[in-house]
Amino acid sequence: MTRISENQSSRVLISNTLENKRKVGLFSEQLASGYKVALPGDSNQSGTVSQYRQSLEKIESYTTTIAQTKSFLQYQDDTIQQVNDILVRAKEVAAQAANETNSNISRAQLSEEIFQIRDHLVNLANSTFQGKYVWGGAADNIPPYIAQTYTTPATGPASQRYVIDAQPGRDTLRTVQITDNLSLQVNSTAASIFDRAIQAAERIGRALGGFSTTLTAGVPDGGGVAYVFPTDFSAQTQAIKDGMNLLDSAREGDIIPERVEIGGKLRRIETGESLLTLEKASSQEVLSRIQDADEAETATSLQQAQNALQASYTVTARVLRLSIIDYI
Amino acid sequence: MTNFGAKILNNSVSALAAQQAVIATTANNIANVNTPGYVRRQAQLETRPGSISTGIDVGNGVQVGDVSRISDQFLESLVRGASGTMNQDQIKSDYLARINVLFDLTGTQATIGSSFNEFFSAVNQVAANPSSLELRSNLISRGEELTTAISSTFQTIATVQSELDQRLAGEINEVNNLTTQIAAVNVKVAQRESGGVTASDERDQRDVLLNKLAEKVSFQIVETSDGMVNISTLDGFPLVNAGTSRNLAVTTSPSFAPGALPPSLSGGTLSYVVFDYGSGGGAPSHVDLTTTLKNGGGIIGGILQLRGYNAVTNTSAFQADGDLVAMAARIEAMTRTLLTSVNQTYLGGDENGGVAGLQPSSGDLNGNTPPVFGLFDFSFAGTKDVDGDGVPELTDLAALTPSVDNFSSLLRFGVNNPASFAAARDDNATVGATSFAQGDGRNAAAIAALRTSTLTFSTGSYSQNTTFDNAYNGLVSYVGNAKSTATLNLNVAKANFSAAANRRDEVSGVSLDEEFAALIKYQRAFQASAKMISTARDIFDQIANLI
Repeated sequence: MTRISENQSSRVLISNTLENKRKVGLFSEQLASGYKVALPGDSNQSGTVSQYRQSLEKIESYTTTIAQTKSFLQYQDDTIQQVNDILVRAKEVAAQAANETNSNISRAQLSEEIFQIRDHLVNLANSTFQGKYVWGGAADNIPPYIAQTYTTPATGPASQRYVIDAQPGRDTLRTVQITDNLSLQVNSTAASIFDRAIQAAERIGRALGGFSTTLTAGVPDGGGVAYVFPTDFSAQTQAIKDGMNLLDSAREGDIIPERVEIGGKLRRIETGESLLTLEKASSQEVLSRIQDADEAETATSLQQAQNALQASYTVTARVLRLSIIDYI
Repeated sequence: MTNFGAKILNNSVSALAAQQAVIATTANNIANVNTPGYVRRQAQLETRPGSISTGIDVGNGVQVGDVSRISDQFLESLVRGASGTMNQDQIKSDYLARINVLFDLTGTQATIGSSFNEFFSAVNQVAANPSSLELRSNLISRGEELTTAISSTFQTIATVQSELDQRLAGEINEVNNLTTQIAAVNVKVAQRESGGVTASDERDQRDVLLNKLAEKVSFQIVETSDGMVNISTLDGFPLVNAGTSRNLAVTTSPSFAPGALPPSLSGGTLSYVVFDYGSGGGAPSHVDLTTTLKNGGGIIGGILQLRGYNAVTNTSAFQADGDLVAMAARIEAMTRTLLTSVNQTYLGGDENGGVAGLQPSSGDLNGNTPPVFGLFDFSFAGTKDVDGDGVPELTDLAALTPSVDNFSSLLRFGVNNPASFAAARDDNATVGATSFAQGDGRNAAAIAALRTSTLTFSTGSYSQNTTFDNAYNGLVSYVGNAKSTATLNLNVAKANFSAAANRRDEVSGVSLDEEFAALIKYQRAFQASAKMISTARDIFDQIANLI
């Protein structure tokens, strides 16, 4: 025969009541905080939770980088678009001037507009984004192009020549980590985009203004003399045509490829961004499944625990009230 | 001829006395229904032997043979074992809960993990915009947060370890009190039982003491024929032998230590539980019982398993075993990787191309190259780059004078001025000459890339080639598993203890129902015996009337 001693029944009653009370506390806390797993000890999947939380935090910080990089590339795209437009205009002016029906005097008048275009190009090449020279390479605190002078003439726009200001880091390009698997070079050197365009505008402008430009390895070296008309009229025409050819190769070889490349980078970033969005959504879903307390489920469990607690109170009171003394 | 009239009276009187004795035992049982350690008594009634009689033997009444103590030694030891395990798991669960909160998983509190993320994110931003002083300031704040998170997490673990060490001394003191009392009670039991009676009250008292001792340590127990108990540790070292007990000592300078003891996580010394034979004994005068106690259960077993045991011949806190040490070693491994691998990357590489000594090729906004421990530094007064090769290496950290055991508590961020974060790499092609551009973020990008690089993390017995993120996740996993295992074990141990205690109480506990039923039974018997006396009086009256 099993004996049930007083200690036994009170121990069982008390431990059951306490356990049910603990459950009520647990479920109400889960319901209030929304988390089923708030601390590592709450689950044996804590490593996984930590991993997903980290990737979410990482995605968050990549999202900031993506937004900044996109606006930087967008700015370059807009600028290059402008460069393209003004090179088209420069070509029109030069084509008009190259026609030998123009006298050297009317050509000189057109040189004005070409030099304005050249100066605009230099301004664009020296443009800043958030206070930094976009095409300055790593030396982005110093403008990439500086003005130098030709020997002939000594004054006026035709005397100005623009060359790259060689600074340490001028050719150092910047690579930005967009996502774990994607890092992008986000800028290009000023020389690779603007050199030929500026040189072409300069040579056309000087030719129209009546000055030859001497070249070293195809690059203006600062030398050149004034044309003597009418003897040099055809040489002037040839120099304009040479300039136009250079203009074409600048546009086709430098400007348009750069635009294509920037467009490609933007698309890659967008692909990376949408992958991140997908990863974020799926990480959040997994994390939520492991970590978040399901409200309906927890509320039901809480109700059950409350019922059980109530039942244990009732049982405890009833059992303890029963006494043989009342019957003898 | 037998005098039956006298028999009636004698037998009835014996019954009155016996029933009263039983009722008195019941009263004692009821009185002690809630007394801890009380084991119910049962009066054993037996027939009273008579003098040799030649006539008809109608019996000589009843007497109380002995009041026995209804106890089962097997069940008692079951309860003690279960209580030891329960207390062991309870203390582990309690202390691990404090470590647990350092690794919040909801993202609401700063942890080492979230600080790593913030730091690498800040470095990546500087890489994208190297000359921005705002982003550089942000990087410094994030770097300081990371070093603070690491050192404060480490220090909390170290504090818990030294608290456990202090608590160990208190618990051993209680063990000494208990063994002393058990030895004293042993003597009383033997004295009383030599008279042939059960020393029930003394045994109750001793059981309470034994149960308390079982909460502290695991032990073996042997009862001798004179009623005394001998107690020894699991590997047989005697703690109580009959009327004498041995006092254990908690010391940080045991005689068997060859020289300096290995440090603890907080830089102190982990104490050893020893028995001191005193100056009279031959060498060794100390016996180290720490490992034995650690392998057992109870509060002391739990404390030692968390705190860890470090052999006296070891030299580092990380050579100890124990859950806390394993956690601390993982944090220390991260610190050492920051101090070596990350600082090496920060230096940019060797400019000198093979000529002795490293000449760093990274620089800040002012054109300066960083010091050896440039990005992550530690508070130390002496020479940090011991071999002077300009490279921060583990060998340098190991060779410091005075030596440093853990760098986590000394860790600090090496950059304190936004302009002096070396984000750039050298652009000067000439060996030996350097020039750094303001907008160069290559060095910062190299640091940011370390986040996904596989690096070596190694301290003590922990060694892993992994990324920072995974090293941290591994740590969270370790902490989580230690805590959830302790909680799970605790629940099992509670259930086991409850079951064992129920089985014991089933045998030894007082049941009021049973006692009252017995009370009525013996009261009725008493009434019947009293009635017999009046019957005997009637018989005597009738005989007298005949005369």
